[in-house]
Amino acid sequence: MKCFLITSEQSEVLFYWTDQEFQQNIQEKYGASQEEGHGLPAFEDSISTQFAPIIISFSTVLEQHSDNYTCFTTENNHTYVLHQFDECLYIAVNGDGEEKEDDLRRKIYVMKKMTEVLFGMVTLSGTLLKKELRPQDTEQRARLWTRLQGLLETYSSLRENDQSFLVEAVERLIHPTLCEQCIEFLERRLVQQLNSSVERAGEEVLHAFILVHTKLLAFYSSRNASTLTTSDLLALIIMVQNMYPSNVDLDDQSAEVRNADNCSTTQAQRDAESTSGSGPESFYTPEPSSSDGNSSSSGGSSGSESAGLLSMAEDPLHTLDASPPDPSTPRRVFLEVSLRDGLYPMMPHSMYCLPLWPGITLVLLTKIPTNAVAMSVYKFLEAFAKLEKRLSEIQGSSAASRGQQTIHEIRSKLDKFVKALGQSEIQLQNAWSEFKSKAFGRGGPGFTTDLIPCCNNMKTQLCGVYRQCFLAESGPSDISRRLSPGLQERAQTMVQEKLVDWKEFLLVKMRRVVVYLDPDYLTYLDDFPGLVHFICVDRSTGRMIAPSLNISERTTSELGKGPVAQFIKSKVWSLVRTTRSYLQKGHSTVTLRDGDFYFCYFLWFENETGYKLEAGDIPVLPDDSAPIGMLAWDYYRKLLRYYSKNHQGEAVKCYELLTVHLGVIPSEIILQHCRQLASKLWEPSRNPLL
Amino acid sequence: MAEFLQPDSRRCSYFFLYDGSKVRGEGDPTRDGICYFYPEETPLDKQELLCGQLAGVARCVSELSSSPVRTLRLRRIKFSIHMKDDFLWALGCSMDVPTVSVCELLDQLISLFCFYSGPVRHSYQLNSQRTLAERWARYLSHLQLGSSALHHIFSSLRTIDSTNVDPLLLLKAALILQACQRCPLVLAGCILFRGRVVSTQMTPELTMKIMVYESETYSRAQRPNGPSSSGSSGGSVSSTNVFLTPSELQCLQSAPVDKDHRYSRRFLRYLKTRLSRTLSDTPSSESDPSDPNSPPVFSPAPSVSSSDSPRPSSRSPPFSNGQASHEAEGEPLDRSYYHSFHSNGDGAAGDSGPERRSPLNGGGRTGAGAGGTGAEWRDGDRTPPPPPPGASETSREEPLVPMTLYMHRVKGLVLALLVEPPFLNDTASMEEVYHSSLASLNGLEAHLRTISPGAPGGRGPYVFAHFDLIQRTLTSNLSGRAGGAPEHSFVRATSLLHSHFCNTETLQEAIIRSAGEAVYGTRSVAQETYFQQHGVLLRNSGIPNHQDSAFSLPAKARSRLLKHGVNLL
Repeated sequence: MKCFLITSEQSEVLFYWTDQEFQQNIQEKYGASQEEGHGLPAFEDSISTQFAPIIISFSTVLEQHSDNYTCFTTENNHTYVLHQFDECLYIAVNGDGEEKEDDLRRKIYVMKKMTEVLFGMVTLSGTLLKKELRPQDTEQRARLWTRLQGLLETYSSLRENDQSFLVEAVERLIHPTLCEQCIEFLERRLVQQLNSSVERAGEEVLHAFILVHTKLLAFYSSRNASTLTTSDLLALIIMVQNMYPSNVDLDDQSAEVRNADNCSTTQAQRDAESTSGSGPESFYTPEPSSSDGNSSSSGGSSGSESAGLLSMAEDPLHTLDASPPDPSTPRRVFLEVSLRDGLYPMMPHSMYCLPLWPGITLVLLTKIPTNAVAMSVYKFLEAFAKLEKRLSEIQGSSAASRGQQTIHEIRSKLDKFVKALGQSEIQLQNAWSEFKSKAFGRGGPGFTTDLIPCCNNMKTQLCGVYRQCFLAESGPSDISRRLSPGLQERAQTMVQEKLVDWKEFLLVKMRRVVVYLDPDYLTYLDDFPGLVHFICVDRSTGRMIAPSLNISERTTSELGKGPVAQFIKSKVWSLVRTTRSYLQKGHSTVTLRDGDFYFCYFLWFENETGYKLEAGDIPVLPDDSAPIGMLAWDYYRKLLRYYSKNHQGEAVKCYELLTVHLGVIPSEIILQHCRQLASKLWEPSRNPLL
Repeated sequence: MAEFLQPDSRRCSYFFLYDGSKVRGEGDPTRDGICYFYPEETPLDKQELLCGQLAGVARCVSELSSSPVRTLRLRRIKFSIHMKDDFLWALGCSMDVPTVSVCELLDQLISLFCFYSGPVRHSYQLNSQRTLAERWARYLSHLQLGSSALHHIFSSLRTIDSTNVDPLLLLKAALILQACQRCPLVLAGCILFRGRVVSTQMTPELTMKIMVYESETYSRAQRPNGPSSSGSSGGSVSSTNVFLTPSELQCLQSAPVDKDHRYSRRFLRYLKTRLSRTLSDTPSSESDPSDPNSPPVFSPAPSVSSSDSPRPSSRSPPFSNGQASHEAEGEPLDRSYYHSFHSNGDGAAGDSGPERRSPLNGGGRTGAGAGGTGAEWRDGDRTPPPPPPGASETSREEPLVPMTLYMHRVKGLVLALLVEPPFLNDTASMEEVYHSSLASLNGLEAHLRTISPGAPGGRGPYVFAHFDLIQRTLTSNLSGRAGGAPEHSFVRATSLLHSHFCNTETLQEAIIRSAGEAVYGTRSVAQETYFQQHGVLLRNSGIPNHQDSAFSLPAKARSRLLKHGVNLL
C-alpha cells in the first residue's frame, strides 16, 4: 500500500507511482463512484480525482491560514506526508507499515533531489518544471514517468536493504592495495588518455569511479575538478543502480530461480561454498544476471522483483521500454560545483556508465563545453531572485537601491549574454528589454513592487534558455558532442583488463565485508565479544564503514543468516530512525536498552589532527524539517558549518558511531568497546579509508 | 510535591465538534455543522475555514484509507481527530506536546462529555447547542486546569501527597468507602479533598471524570448567592446522572466486594441482557420485552429488593430511568436534584413517605409512561424519536449505561459514590449512607484540614518525574513556575522519551544527551521515570567514554529517588 504523487496546485498529476495494492484501492474507490457502463478511466485521472480534495484544501489552508498540512495518520496506521516545493505538491503515502513518517518525508526530498539532478535549474521555475514533468506528448510522458518510477523504486529498495543508503553515506570496498592501484590506474592511464584524445569532442573527464554494486572501489577526480558532493554521488549511484540493477539479495533470488531452471548441482555447490566460506579466500560467484548484461530492460526496475515493490503490470506505461535508445548516449546530470568564486548548484555534466561486468560499473563524469553558459545563467538567476526578494520583503528606498545595485552589476553582462544568444532566444531578449524599460526607463515604475512580475518573467526566460541549452532533445548535431563510442569502448576494455583477475574477488568481497581491525585479520566479533553490529560514519567526507548485513538464506555473515539477521537488520534500521529523531531535537548521544539489545549512538567532532573537540549545542529543528542525512539535504554540512562558527580557522570533522550489543553485557564494557571502535576505525595506520 | 500550576499555559489551542450530517448539500453553509468551537471568540469565518477544511480532508483521507483519521498535522499545530458517524472532533495543540498526549486528551474530553451527557447525537437532539457548548467549555477548562508542561505530557490524577499524610487517615477514607458499599445500590466511590484524590475504588479514568463534577459543585458552593449554598452545617448532598460504558461497569463490578450481597437479582439479569445484546444482539429469554407488565429495567420491584434496604413501595417507580436521563441531559448540573438533608429538617429523616421524596425528584414522575419507555428502550427497534440514550447508537457503538453520581460534601472534603439510579428514590438507603458516613467524613475533614500543604519535597541538584501508569499519578520535584532553561530542556527530553516509550514496547531505558545535559528515562509495565542531574555534567567531547557522568545517571537515579518513594531497583 504505497503511493507517491507530485501534483500542481490545480491537482494536475505531474508524476505518480503506486504499488499494485494502492492502485487497486484507488480503482475500486473510483469505480464505486462512477456509473456503470463506463470503462475505467486512465489511472492518472482516477488518482487525481481521489486526491483532489486534499490538494485543494492544502492550498486553501496555506492561503487563508498561512500554515500547511505536513502529515496525516489514520487509525489503521496509514501515513500521509505532504510537502510543497514551489508550485509542486509532493504527497507520499504508506499503508503497510513498512515506511514511517520520516521515511516518507525522506522519499519526498530524495525525489526532489532526483529532479534537480535530472532537470537542473529548470526546477527553479515552477511553470517550466511542471511542463518538464508532464510532457504534452503522452508517449514521452510515459517514458519519463517510467524512468522516474524506476529511480524511485531503486531508491526505495536501496534504502530498505543497503546500509549505505540507510545512513546516507558512501561505502568503500576495503582493500588498500587494490584501491590504491585502481586509483593510480584511473589517474595515470584512463583519465589522462581520455582527456588527451581528440575523440572526446570538447568534453573533459572530471571524475571517474568504479562501483561494485553500491560500493566504491576507486574514485579519482582530475586536478582542476571541484569535489563531488556526497549528495550528488549518492544520487548518481541510484541512477547507476537503476540502469544496471545489482541488488545483492536480488541476485540471490534470481540465482535461485535460474538454478531451478537449469541445474540443481550448481545450487548444491554454491550452498556448500557459502556455508563453508568464512574467510576472504572463499569465493562466491554469481552468474551473470542475463546473457546481455548491458541491457537494462531485463530489470528495468530492480524493485519489481524485490518484495513489496511491485510493478504495475496493468499500467500502459510499463509496457514501454525504459532503456535508453543507445547505451553510448551519456546521461545529462546536474551536479554542484564549487569554484573559487562561489558555489554553483546544478551545473550540467555528462555521465557515462560503462558496465564492466554485472555488478561492476565504471562511471565517467565529464564537463561539457557549454558549461560557461550555465554558470552565467545561474549568476543572472541569482541576481533576479535577490532583487525580487528585496522588492517584496521590505518597502523602502534603501532596499530598492540595493536591489538596483545588483542589477546594475549584471546589466552589461546580461546585455552581452543576450546579444551572444542572438535571435534564437527572442523571448529572453524581449523580457530583458521590457525589464530595462520598466526599471531604468523614465516612464517606468522603477524599483518598486511593480517590478516583481518582470523579475519573475526574467527568471522564467533564463530557465527557458537553460532548458534549451542543456535539456532539449538531442538533435543529430548532438551526437558529435560527446565521447565517441569508440573511445568509450576503449575505456571500458582498459578497465576490464585491469580488473579481470580481481572480478570474482570483488563480487564476494561486496557480499561479505569483514572489517579488519587488526593486521592479523581478526574480525570484530573476536575483538569485541558481545558486539552484534556497528556502523561508523565520517560525515565530513560522507564515507561509512560497517560489517555486511546479509539477510538472505544463502549467504552467511557474522550475524548468521535468515530470520536472526533479518531481525537484527530491522533493529538497526529502526535504531537509525530513532537516533535521527533525537538528533533532530539536539541530542547527540543516545543509549537505549531495547529488548535483548543495548544500542548506542554517538556524534562527535574532531579537528584535523584527531583531537576531540568539545561537544557543542546542536540546533533543535521542527518536526517537519528536512530529513537528517546527506542524500537529499546535507544536514551534516549545515551542522559542520554551524559548529565551525566557534572553531574559526580549524578544519572540523564530524563522526558518528552506532553500535548494537547484547543486553547482558555490562554498560561499562559496552562503552569501552564504543571507545575502542571510535578510535580504531579511523586510525590512519590501520584504516584503508584514509 | 510541589504545585506546578502555570495559569497561562493552555495546552489546547483549538477544539471543535463538527456535524457533517448538517452540511450535505452544496449550498449548506459550513457554520451549520459547527456544534462547538473553542476558543469561542474565534471569528466565524476562521471557524468555518478550519472546520470545513479539516473535515473535508479528514473525510477524503478516511475514504482513501478506509479508516478514520487519527491525526492531522500542520507546520505549527497538530490536531488529534476523532471521527464517528457524521461527527468529527478535532483538538489542536502546539507542536511541542507529544502526539500521543494530544490523542489521549481528545479521548478524555469526549469520554467526559459522554459520561455526563450520554451519547453525543442523542444529547444534541435533546439539548440546545448553547447548553452543550457550556459543557464542552467546562470540560475543556477542567482538563487544562493546573496543567504544567509535564501535565501536557502525562494526563495524571491529582492526589494528596501521601508522604505527608498519616496512613491511618488513608485507611479511614478507604473504610468509609467500604462502609458505603454495604448498601447494594452503591457501586463504588472515592473521597476527594480540595480537588485531590484521597482514596478511590474506581479506575483513575473514572475518578478523573467524577472530579469534574466535584470541582463544579465546589465552585458553586463557593459562590455566596449560589442556589446550592448549603446550610450552616457545611454538609450538603447532590447528585447527577451519568453514563458508564459497559467496560467501565464491568470493571466496577469486578471490584472485590461481596456481590451476592450487593446486587439485586433483577439488576444482574438486566446486566446479562445488556451484555448479551452488546455482543450478539440477541434478546435474552430471561426478560421478555413484549411483556407489558415487565417493570422498567432500572426500577427494581420492591419484591426483589434486598432485605436490608427498605424501599418505597410504589409499584411503578416514581423515577424511571428513561425520564431521569432525559431530565439529566436537560441540565444535569444546574438542576441536579440538589438538596440538603438538613434544610429539610431532621425530623423527617426516618419517614419514607412520598412527600419526602418530592424535593428529590422535581417533576420527573410519570408512572406508567416511564415503564413504557423502559420497555421500548430495551426493545431498541421501536425507538421513538428522540431515541433514548443507549439504544440510539447501539448499532454503532457501545451502549452507555445510565448511573447516578451521588456526592456528599463536608467543606473541602467530598464523598462521591456511583450508585444505581433507584438509590435516589430509596430514602432509607440514602439516609443510611449519609448518616453512616457523616461523622467519619467530618472527622477526616478536620484531620486533613490541619495538615500543612507540606514543604515541597526535597529539592536536590536534580529534577525527576515519575509517572505511575496504573494509578496515573505524577510525582515530580519540578517547579513549574521557575521555568528555567534546564527545566525546559528536561521537559522536552521527557516528552521525546515518553513518545518513544509509547511507540516502542520493548524499550526499557534510555539516556539521551545534548551538549549541556543528559536525561535518563526508564520504564516498566507500571511506571515511567525520568531523571536529570544538574550541574555535574562536565563539558565533554561526545565521544564514547565510560567515565562520562551521563552513564552514571541510572545509578544516581536509583539512589536519589528512593527518598521520594520511587523504587527503581
